[in-house]
Amino acid sequence: MMTMPKININEIKNWTINNFFGSKLNLLLTIFSTLFIVYIISSFISFLSSAEWEVVALNKRLLLLGRLPAEDTWRAWPILWLFSSILCSSIGAWGNPKKSELLFILLAFLMPAAIFFSMSYIVHISITIIIGVGSYFSSRIIKKISAIKVVMYLDTLKKILISLWILLIPLVFIVLLIGGGPKPNLWGGFLLNILLASVAVVAGFPLGILMAIGRSTKLPVIKTACTLYIETIRGAPLVAWLLLAWFVLPKFLPNFYGLSEISVVIRAMIVLSFFASAYIAEVIRGGLQSIPKGQLEAADALNLSYFNKMRIIILPQAIKVVIPAIVSTFIGIFKDTSLVFILALTDLLQVGRIIPEQDPKFFGKQIEALLVVASLFWIVSVALSNLSSKIEKNLGIGTR
Amino acid sequence: MIFTVLFAIYFLSVAFQLELSLSHFKSRAGFGLSHLFLIDYTSNDSRWVAYYAGVINTIRVCLVAILLTTVLGTVMGVARLSKNFLTSRIAWAYVEVLRNTPLLIQIIFWQIVFLQLPHISEAITFGNTSAISNRGISLPGVSDNGSAQMWFIFLGIMAAGSLFLSYFLNKREDKSGEYLSIAGYKLSGNIVGIIFFALIAVVTYFAFGKPVSLDIPSISQNTKGTWMQSGGFELSPEFAAILFALVIYTGTFITEIVRGSIQSLSKGQTEAAQAIGLSRYQSMTLVVLPQALRSIIPPLTNQFLNLTKNSSLAVVIAYPDLFMVSRTIMNNSGHALPVFFLILFTYLFLSLCISLVMNLINRRVTRIGT
Repeated sequence: MMTMPKININEIKNWTINNFFGSKLNLLLTIFSTLFIVYIISSFISFLSSAEWEVVALNKRLLLLGRLPAEDTWRAWPILWLFSSILCSSIGAWGNPKKSELLFILLAFLMPAAIFFSMSYIVHISITIIIGVGSYFSSRIIKKISAIKVVMYLDTLKKILISLWILLIPLVFIVLLIGGGPKPNLWGGFLLNILLASVAVVAGFPLGILMAIGRSTKLPVIKTACTLYIETIRGAPLVAWLLLAWFVLPKFLPNFYGLSEISVVIRAMIVLSFFASAYIAEVIRGGLQSIPKGQLEAADALNLSYFNKMRIIILPQAIKVVIPAIVSTFIGIFKDTSLVFILALTDLLQVGRIIPEQDPKFFGKQIEALLVVASLFWIVSVALSNLSSKIEKNLGIGTR
Repeated sequence: MIFTVLFAIYFLSVAFQLELSLSHFKSRAGFGLSHLFLIDYTSNDSRWVAYYAGVINTIRVCLVAILLTTVLGTVMGVARLSKNFLTSRIAWAYVEVLRNTPLLIQIIFWQIVFLQLPHISEAITFGNTSAISNRGISLPGVSDNGSAQMWFIFLGIMAAGSLFLSYFLNKREDKSGEYLSIAGYKLSGNIVGIIFFALIAVVTYFAFGKPVSLDIPSISQNTKGTWMQSGGFELSPEFAAILFALVIYTGTFITEIVRGSIQSLSKGQTEAAQAIGLSRYQSMTLVVLPQALRSIIPPLTNQFLNLTKNSSLAVVIAYPDLFMVSRTIMNNSGHALPVFFLILFTYLFLSLCISLVMNLINRRVTRIGT
């Protein structure tokens, strides 16, 4: 028989009094908060009861993949499988998730799956689930084996996973383009948002490191140039830079191999990468400043060259410190990818705005479409920000 | 290094092939703007006037949004740390839900909400003082009776005078402990200043012949059956949408900043404040917040800059701000690069102004008590 946890009536009473009715102000706050919560929940329920989700149900493919032609829809599945296998085995290898966190991850996966579930793809969906669960447990097993025996399986696994994460974007490009795939102009929907954000951060990262180092050197010319670069990019809003990609970038690209008539998606990627690099540079500069001076002096004492000093001593420490901040930058860029509407790209938000207009019977159903779009953005952002705080705890930043 | 120089040379050589002057800004604009504030503009004016109207629209929305978002963020940040379970949960949910959805979605959401308000014939009115309909929100405003400008200038001078008066009285009290007292009540310098200013304001209001009067919005139907709305301070749906979205979105970040700064203060400060018998409200406003302000202001400046840049998203709901006007000019004239530089420098200038003001405030805040 299960033993009931001891409940102290007094404790509950004290907690209730302290939290709800401690003083006049507290009582007032309780009343106002209750009214506010009741109002929000009741209006939300009345909205849900009158909501019709047909507009979303009919346009699942548009929301996720945009204008990607129907015969190319199969390309989305390998991407999803690849991603879920790498993600789940990474969770198994690095993470030590509690049951509640596993539940959260599962819910985060299930919510979009429930929204976009359809019977015709039941096989694909079950393959995704099997791959995800399978790769999670296989990396758990590898972890356990290497904990018992002194074998370096886990380290090898981690190395493979890291290289897979780096290779993921090229792999996605290959899957999308292989065998006469659709033009990049037709990429769209949620896929486009994720792709743009990932490319921007991954491509902006090396440039960001260079700019951060440049800004913290003592050489005046390089320092001024890097500062100017960073501050100029941070000074103007992203929409302005995207406008630049629309009007001006084609004129500046050299005119060979049709480079000047490059697809708008690629142009958006270029601009987003430069934009991300400025923000990443500032983040990494913060990391560089947090390195104690003794490290630099120790490296000098070892007679390391400037390049080696940076590569071996400074950068690994600096980057490790700022990983959470870089994840935050990624979240920011990811939310900002919805701005590509200015380039007439059909990203998730743009699709969500257009679909209620395709049929008179959907008129006035914008909120439903918008809510689904917002929840997709929300899930990814919340998952990432949880990851970021998790990494922060694991690295022990702020506890030193 | 060589690569960079080569790239710069290439970049400049291409750039000089393009038209780089802003001379086309003198020609006729040829497009109308839906929102005008403090400036008269018709489509026959030059592009410069259109651009100025855009800049003023941007500054208008940013100023109001910065003021409101600071208030909202501070209230929510304090609520986040409230002892009351429900209140702190509300603040938590507010941050978690709204910080993680793109601003663009929120702008569009508020626009839909404001456009779904009742038709003007069924406008929600509060005792005929204000009207809420899908044409916007009309609030009571003030209208100029001709001599308002003089009055405001005079009031400005008097405000400076009363500030000086209270500064002088405070200084004297700090030095010698002397203070004004009327019928045994102690009057601090601040109160004397406020009373002085209020007295002057009331007296001159009548002396200038009632320069401003209350302007209450009215809704009427003309002979053809069209609904007319006139008078009052009008908040159009677009302006309200961009304002709400900016305030609420930026407010989440400010909430986190305020919470973090308060939490970083040592607990001894609150306990000391309670030990000398201050109420929780007093200890918050007199002890905790003034100290937390030091670590709040630098990241707060950052958020204000973000807000200014984010205001360019107003383009999606056709609020004619700086960005939208410039984009229209860009499309009409075909000279993209110079207009782009104009946008860039205008935003840089606005950012610099905000940083300057915030640095002044920061200097003042950090000086206290050191």
